[in-house]
Amino acid sequence: MAEIDEVNRKITLKLVYYGPAQSGKTTNLMRLHDLLAPDLKGEVMTLETQNDRTLFFDLLPLGFRTPSGWLVKLKLFTVPGQVAHDATRKAVLSRADGVVFVADSQRAQSVNNAEAFQNLEENVQRVGLDFASVPLVVQFNKRDLPEAQILSEEEVRARWAQAPWPLVFSSALIGEGVKETFARLLEQVYPVLDKFCALQESHGVDRQSFVAAVTGG
Amino acid sequence: MELDPHTFDREFDLAELLAGMPLARMAQILATLLDGEFRLVTVGGQLMLGRAEPFAQPGRAAIRHDLETLGHLESASAGEARLSAAAGMVELVLQLSARYRMAADLHTETVQEDYAALQHQLAALKESEARYKTLSEELEERVRQQVETLETAQRQLYQAEKLASIGQLAAGVAHEINNPIGFIRSNLSTAQQYVRNLERLAALMKAGDMAQFQAVWNEADMAFVTEDFAALLGESVAGADRVAKIVADLKGFSNVDQTEEEIVNLNDNLRFACNVVAGQIKDKAELVLELGGLPRILCLPGHLNQVFLNLLLNAVQSLPDQGRIKVCSDVLNNEIRIRISDNGCGIPEGNLDRIFDPFFTTHEVGSGTGLGLTVCRDIVQAHGGRIGVESKAGAGTTFTVYLPIG
Repeated sequence: MAEIDEVNRKITLKLVYYGPAQSGKTTNLMRLHDLLAPDLKGEVMTLETQNDRTLFFDLLPLGFRTPSGWLVKLKLFTVPGQVAHDATRKAVLSRADGVVFVADSQRAQSVNNAEAFQNLEENVQRVGLDFASVPLVVQFNKRDLPEAQILSEEEVRARWAQAPWPLVFSSALIGEGVKETFARLLEQVYPVLDKFCALQESHGVDRQSFVAAVTGG
Repeated sequence: MELDPHTFDREFDLAELLAGMPLARMAQILATLLDGEFRLVTVGGQLMLGRAEPFAQPGRAAIRHDLETLGHLESASAGEARLSAAAGMVELVLQLSARYRMAADLHTETVQEDYAALQHQLAALKESEARYKTLSEELEERVRQQVETLETAQRQLYQAEKLASIGQLAAGVAHEINNPIGFIRSNLSTAQQYVRNLERLAALMKAGDMAQFQAVWNEADMAFVTEDFAALLGESVAGADRVAKIVADLKGFSNVDQTEEEIVNLNDNLRFACNVVAGQIKDKAELVLELGGLPRILCLPGHLNQVFLNLLLNAVQSLPDQGRIKVCSDVLNNEIRIRISDNGCGIPEGNLDRIFDPFFTTHEVGSGTGLGLTVCRDIVQAHGGRIGVESKAGAGTTFTVYLPIG
């Protein structure tokens, strides 16, 4: 849950990129760093990798000042996708204010996607969050791959028709759909955050300006 | 294992990021870079490193971390470019410190998580172990009860077997006693007739009618009567003695439950057992005793009598119309060897291994408990001995009992 620091006049949010191994979570973060233009933007901190695979997490800090003079800080994390790192995944997911589930569009990865999604559901419950109400966006990545290799958009939509979460198609490698995914998440996070710390009333930030401030318009 | 519940993704302040750094060395380096004294202060103005007293009009460079200004580097001697470069260097150091702290705290969190999971597993294992322990105790109790039930049933069957052999014994004894009782009874009726004759003669004698006396004397053939009277009394006494002997023998069986040991010559027990079955085999078989000299041994005679009787009755049952039973005793290798052989129907080879097993019987259901030979084996083993069998179907069977001497 978002952290409110009255002394330093600061609200800190945690957003987590979750998904199976090598679905493009880190790439999403790298592209966001390039694409977004908020007031404040840190560097992507990559904590540790092995053969280009995340061992701990990546972190991208973003932030903006509210008209009331408060700092709203968003910390974007990725989790390690490999099955073995479940304890790390769980720790990173703790206290999350929103989740992007990055799925791999390749047909061959359907089972891994399903397992990772189930793992997300389990871990959300294990860290004490309510899976039904946690803001979540599902992103199907790697749309740049040859059509034969990947599920068609129709297939994906049919499979996820019953699910309540926004569905975004992306190619993180070439930067498509990345910003849109993030914006969709911010739209969902806003009402929860507004309820929690009266963003609109006390800080003069409405939903539209919230998304605009974080993404840089 | 208790670990600080620091969350790895918390916000760090300047003091926390500088904690554990070699601050003296850092101060030296900064002083060199900045050409003299400097101050590193938090946004709140608290001194973290450098000169204690504030400068009058210092140059200032912000120290930023993670989007925020955490403090300032102040110097009165360094130029703006140099101060800004030094501040950048401090920022890099703080960045590395933050990376290290996040990694360390995340590691701690996951270790704690793994440990909690292990504790949970351990608790589950302990619980399961306790369940199995309870189950095992219950099983032991149930086994104990079953064993008790079986032992009771076995005791009852042993008792039944004992009663069955006593029943057979009683039939034999009755036959044996009936015979002398029959002729004693007949002798006594004859004696009553003789006594009546004597009463008539005595009355004539008193009246002095000698002619009549002589006539009656001759008519009653009193010369024969006096001779026969003595003979039939003698015969009856012998018969009564025979009954007395049978009854005395029977006492050997009245104490089958006697648990006191006695020193006996087993030949006496063999003779006794032969006497008991003799009545049953009189017409059917020839009973041959070849008893060698035996040392006296300490044993439970009543129990061994039952063994011999069982083996003899088995032999009798195996015989065809006419047969022969041979009982031999001798000493071999410091053991008493007793052999009871018959030339009866024999035991099929397939059954030989099983005849001592409890409840194994070739008789029809109801005609035997199937425990006779089991009881024999148990009794012999209780005396430290062993029992063996050799048999050929159609040719006969020999049971051999070995008992240790002394």
